[in-house]
Amino acid sequence: MEDGEPENSGGGEEDSMDGVELTPGDPGASSHHASKPPTGEELRMIKDAVNLYQSSSFKLQIDALLPNVRPSTKDSRKAPLERFLHSLRSHLISMRAVEPQNPVSAARALAKQGIAVPFALPHPTEEVKWKVGFEPPSDINVVGSWANQICVKRKDGVPFTVDVTIEMPDSLFQEKDYLDSRYFHKRSFYLAVVAQSLSTSLEVDTFYQSTLGDPRLTVLVLSPRKGSQNDFSKAHAKIHVIPVISSSNPMPLSRLSPSHANVRLPGKSSAGPQPTPIYNTNVLLATYPKLSLLATNALKHLCPAFSDAYALLRVWANQRGYGEGPICVRGFEGKGCWWNEVLGLVVFGEESTSANKANVRKPLGKGLSSYQLFRAALDVLARQDFSQKAVHVKSTNGHKFPPDEYTSHHSAVFVDSTSTLNLLADVPSTSLSMLRYDANETLEKLNTSSESDNIFAQLFLNDQTQLSKRCDAVIRVDLARASKKQSAYEFVEYGSSDNALLAAISKTLQRGLGDRVQAIGIFHPSSKMRSITDAHNPLLSTIYIGLTYNSENAFRLVDHGPPADGQDSEAGRLFRQLWGDKAELRRFKDGRIVESVVWEVKTSDDRAHIPVAIVRHLLRHHFGIPANDVRSPQNYFDAKLRLPDEVSSIFQASGSSSGFKSALAAFDGLVKRLKSLGDQIPLALSSVSPTSEYLRYASALGPVPIPQSAYLALPDSYRYLPTIDVNLEFEKSTKWPDDIRAVQKAKLALLEAIATALLSANKITRASVCTADCSGSTIQQHGPSLEIYTTEGWAFSVRIWYDREATLLERLSSSVRTPARPLAPSEANPREQREAQQALETYTRQFIHAPRHHRAVANLAHRFTAYVGTVRLVKRWLAAHWLLTTHVSAEAVEIISARPFLGSGAVLPDDASSIPRSKERGFAQVLEFLRDWKPEEPIFVPIYEDSAPSSEPTVAAVSSKQGVWTISTSEDNSGRMWTSSGPDAIAARRLRAIAKEACKILHSTDIDSLDVERLFSHATEDYDVLIELDPMILPRYHQSINAESSALSKDRTIPQEDDATPRPGFDPAWLLFQDLQVTYSDTLKFFYDVYGGRYIGAIWLPIVSGIRPFRVMGGFSSTPEQKPNEKNKGTVVLNKQAVLDEIERLGAGFIKKVEARERS
Amino acid sequence: MALPKIVSGFTVLPVAYPHSRHIIYAKAHASSSKSSKSTFPADRTLFLVNVPVDATERELSLFFRYAGTVERVIFDQNDLDDTELQGDASGSGSGSEDEDSDAPDSSMEVDTEENAETRPRKNRKDKKRDEPAPPTVVPLPTSPHRTLRKTGAVAHLVFLDSSSLSKALTPLPKARSWPSSEELRGLARYRALYDEQRPPLDIVKAHADTAMELYEFELAKSRRQSAYRKGEAIVDEDGFTLVTRGGAYGKTLGGGVGVANKQFQATGKTGSKKKKESKEKASFYAFQKAEKQRKAIMDLKKNFEADKARIEKLKQSRRFKPY
Repeated sequence: MEDGEPENSGGGEEDSMDGVELTPGDPGASSHHASKPPTGEELRMIKDAVNLYQSSSFKLQIDALLPNVRPSTKDSRKAPLERFLHSLRSHLISMRAVEPQNPVSAARALAKQGIAVPFALPHPTEEVKWKVGFEPPSDINVVGSWANQICVKRKDGVPFTVDVTIEMPDSLFQEKDYLDSRYFHKRSFYLAVVAQSLSTSLEVDTFYQSTLGDPRLTVLVLSPRKGSQNDFSKAHAKIHVIPVISSSNPMPLSRLSPSHANVRLPGKSSAGPQPTPIYNTNVLLATYPKLSLLATNALKHLCPAFSDAYALLRVWANQRGYGEGPICVRGFEGKGCWWNEVLGLVVFGEESTSANKANVRKPLGKGLSSYQLFRAALDVLARQDFSQKAVHVKSTNGHKFPPDEYTSHHSAVFVDSTSTLNLLADVPSTSLSMLRYDANETLEKLNTSSESDNIFAQLFLNDQTQLSKRCDAVIRVDLARASKKQSAYEFVEYGSSDNALLAAISKTLQRGLGDRVQAIGIFHPSSKMRSITDAHNPLLSTIYIGLTYNSENAFRLVDHGPPADGQDSEAGRLFRQLWGDKAELRRFKDGRIVESVVWEVKTSDDRAHIPVAIVRHLLRHHFGIPANDVRSPQNYFDAKLRLPDEVSSIFQASGSSSGFKSALAAFDGLVKRLKSLGDQIPLALSSVSPTSEYLRYASALGPVPIPQSAYLALPDSYRYLPTIDVNLEFEKSTKWPDDIRAVQKAKLALLEAIATALLSANKITRASVCTADCSGSTIQQHGPSLEIYTTEGWAFSVRIWYDREATLLERLSSSVRTPARPLAPSEANPREQREAQQALETYTRQFIHAPRHHRAVANLAHRFTAYVGTVRLVKRWLAAHWLLTTHVSAEAVEIISARPFLGSGAVLPDDASSIPRSKERGFAQVLEFLRDWKPEEPIFVPIYEDSAPSSEPTVAAVSSKQGVWTISTSEDNSGRMWTSSGPDAIAARRLRAIAKEACKILHSTDIDSLDVERLFSHATEDYDVLIELDPMILPRYHQSINAESSALSKDRTIPQEDDATPRPGFDPAWLLFQDLQVTYSDTLKFFYDVYGGRYIGAIWLPIVSGIRPFRVMGGFSSTPEQKPNEKNKGTVVLNKQAVLDEIERLGAGFIKKVEARERS
Repeated sequence: MALPKIVSGFTVLPVAYPHSRHIIYAKAHASSSKSSKSTFPADRTLFLVNVPVDATERELSLFFRYAGTVERVIFDQNDLDDTELQGDASGSGSGSEDEDSDAPDSSMEVDTEENAETRPRKNRKDKKRDEPAPPTVVPLPTSPHRTLRKTGAVAHLVFLDSSSLSKALTPLPKARSWPSSEELRGLARYRALYDEQRPPLDIVKAHADTAMELYEFELAKSRRQSAYRKGEAIVDEDGFTLVTRGGAYGKTLGGGVGVANKQFQATGKTGSKKKKESKEKASFYAFQKAEKQRKAIMDLKKNFEADKARIEKLKQSRRFKPY
């Protein structure tokens, strides 16, 4: 029932038609015992549920949903409304007539009583000959969805609308009233008189409301006043009083067909009056409500599932902003009757016209279930382009106006079943493209998803109006400075300056963006009620433009226009008119000389901005909207993935080119060099596999090389040089020792050989073997690595993959000594086993899964342009909230971020419409997922080609210290490979809370620079302990999200004595973090932003709080403490300050301060 | 606040930190275990709980200087292994290897012998009591640096003189400040550690080569000692032939007897033979068919009921209010 006005009339106030009860019975009523065989009835019902609906649970959910969206049928709620309607009727009928008089003076008289007359354009003048008057209505009816009992609850608790038509007597009108808005002026005056009378004599609040801000569609809204005698607030409804005219009115119908020009403007040029199709439609609307009521009622009786299907369709549409609310797709306000007609089209089929004789839509019949009807309606909405192909719903008595007139004068045509008017006359075709897109997306979901609960929620229960996750680009346009230079004709045709402007914007954008986008949505708040002292709606201040990209064309650099041959051809003129100074003649490689527009691109970031740049250009060129008023958060997001300019300029000075492409080139160079070593190393190299996020475009910040010379000149806060992980595999050889420790030594020898060979080839600056804990006899976690520092300034960390290691480690770690294995290492002690176990896990992750994962992600990066951007934004965001790497592994982020692109169940086709085409949208979708994802639910993400889940992932029981996420892939069925160490329950809960907050920020529609900053700013109030580090020392500080430029100054204040050699990958903050985490794993939980965060945050774990008995293996630093009234002496309490003092000592040299905070 | 002098039998030793007071709990070492007797002489060993996380031997010695001279500090049982092994690896050659500190000292000799017998191929470079002298491993450079331990850790402190023990256990009048040894800490430590882990290539080479030599040596030695010889099956006194997995059919150590595969070991089932599907027809008799149909219908209903119950539950949680 958001159908403001047009729904229709008919039944009179006491419509006695009962809603047909058509849900096939309440399933709950008939089942008694699960053990009894079902009766025939039950069986039929169950079968129906399965066959006629998506699934039986889908049907049950529909049944559960529907009562919640309908008005209450209780008499106690309805009775006051009924009573009020009666008194309204008697009041209206007994109103006194007003003598006909000049409209201007009549309005003046009303204005004295504080009532404005909402005159439409062109405003009447003193000189006009015709007069306005008032006589009591000749008929009063309840119409629309309320009368038909099909009304559906609206969003945000907006009350139901009861449409009441008051029929203005024919005597007030003349034949020529269709001209120059005379009819509308008379209607406005009539309404104002009614408003004046009702506001004074009935105890209700009265408002005006103009659908779409069009004064011609103004209605009078009566809402209950609490506690008055007419209080019908129990019915949760408000009444729209709509003046209409009878079908016998003196205006000739033939004058109102779309091709007629009914407004004569003074001083109009020679071209003669232009047709006014929308104006005509609005006049026709005055007779429509009654017709529509009858048609809908007939449909409802004919087709039992109609009202349920209608409810589903409306709920679906409301959840997507096709209706009323704070952020709505333009044009669908007050289009309640249109949704009926869409269902009518499904049931009745199409009226044939000369244009579509061949393929008229066939009626689908009236026996469909509500879900089938809904789905068929979606199918219509998804497939039918109303602006290309006119639709005439099958009507009983043929066309009233020639169908061609519609096609030539309206942008989109959908003629209702009474053939009275085009319901889509004032709906811009951009909005229809948005609707088509949404319907398509929903159908895709219905076709691919396997989880019916989830899909039901997505269809009907979840709010989908959030622009950031719905559109690839969201542009906020401030209209305050837009020049409204549309002609007077357009003002009159569209009803208001806003409408004229938006119609023009819509047309221009559609022409300019063309096939770059799948859909353009223009969003703005729907019209609000206003006081009856205000004649007109306030002007729209802001609109949002949402673009949904077409991935193939969106980022095209050149728009080709018509060929140059006819400089003054019509096409060329239009092209130049559209693009203004951007249009230029160019000669292309293939010899063509065509009009074209070339979009300048400096960086890859810029390329993603082309569509928004086009919008900005067009809005400035055509509507004078300054570029500053057209804002998109893209730039802010981009800035998050870039080093600040002053930082990158310092790196650029060193001369090496940075970024993923250069990193890949450096990697290729390394591979070549390694392959060329040939005989200089003892074993032949068989493969080199990268495993680093820097080589798959997936690190939040692009990698930056630092050549040695530059390195030494840089201050400490710039000196972070990422190491790029690479695995080497050698040919099989029998020379490898059969002992894990000896294997490590052999690796050392091999790496040393490579290092020496590389150095002698003299292409690299430095190569050193990193022997981390090689000297001891413990089994190493990672094994030795070779660090190669190239002359261009890239650092690689190379490890050797030896496949028998797994067997050796397995042998060590398994403790089972079966009779068949008397030779099992009998002396293996638990510690060795544990170490071997850990080493085996590391081995599997590092050598088996990491390369596979790398390939899969690199593959995704090529398939989906927006994927890596999404990953990078999510990483940056997680890091900014101190969770990335410290709690959530980068690989887990990469897998989760693939979810919007790949879907959850069946693999989405690559061109599925729901796939984000911009990183901002992907980011918003990932955030939403993180907000809604309960960690105990395992998820499956098909990142490895197209394999479906082989088996349902199950959640392993996890202890509180382990990670709680289960993200399975076809290569990792248990889903713990990248999440076994985190996030644990605490971190996961934090993450959800932060994601929730972030979604809220994104949803708060004001897309401002500030808000995006807020997404990435981390509140530190929640931490018990804040460890402040010295930014001057942190090598990654330049990557920090909010680095202070003072700390980034290039002047070196503290010269370091031991900085003769570069230290690739050296990050003391990270080392300290790891040390702290290990040392205080049972006392504190630490959080840190790996991108150069200045603070390490920590919270005390609850398991060490309070007074507890002293134990030798207590595992925390304690101090004796007695409970005040207990004699037991052996109790201790956590010695917090001493722990903090120790931490300060551990970080001597770069901890500035350790601050404990008391949390309330 | 006044500290209690003793908590659960432990003497409370306050340590002054810059902004606070850390507590070390101390007690005379008392162990029932035979093995620890030699390592921890009962009358001279102080058992400490909650030593500072970054404490070094030197620092603890300095802290307890008031009580007497400290002979050595053992941080925990596992570290014992580490220190000894490390000494071993760096070629001192004299350290007696005691992998399992629970193993009785006296049985040590026997133990290694046994190990060598039962583990012919799994070699450890540290078995080198026998002649000829094992090759020495060139150590990777290590500078003394702090090892961080988990907070609340324990340590054993052995005094040179038994009189020191009681002195150490008398409560301190006031907190002693924590001494500092010259081992690097904080940023300097991380830098040093980083550099140390990247030794010059020639040292790496020397280390790797010598370590491999040692490995070869150990391998050769254990082969010599091993009862197994290539080409000879081993038959124990009961007449069983020892086999191990390997080769195409498994092998005896030397001989040619097949051995069960891994799957058999794990499950006790032979995987090769597929279980024969029963050929019996499920719906041969009319009653079978009827039952099948009935079951299908019942399942249908059961699933439906289950769905319904689930939706009902969702309904309770007011999930079906779209807005």
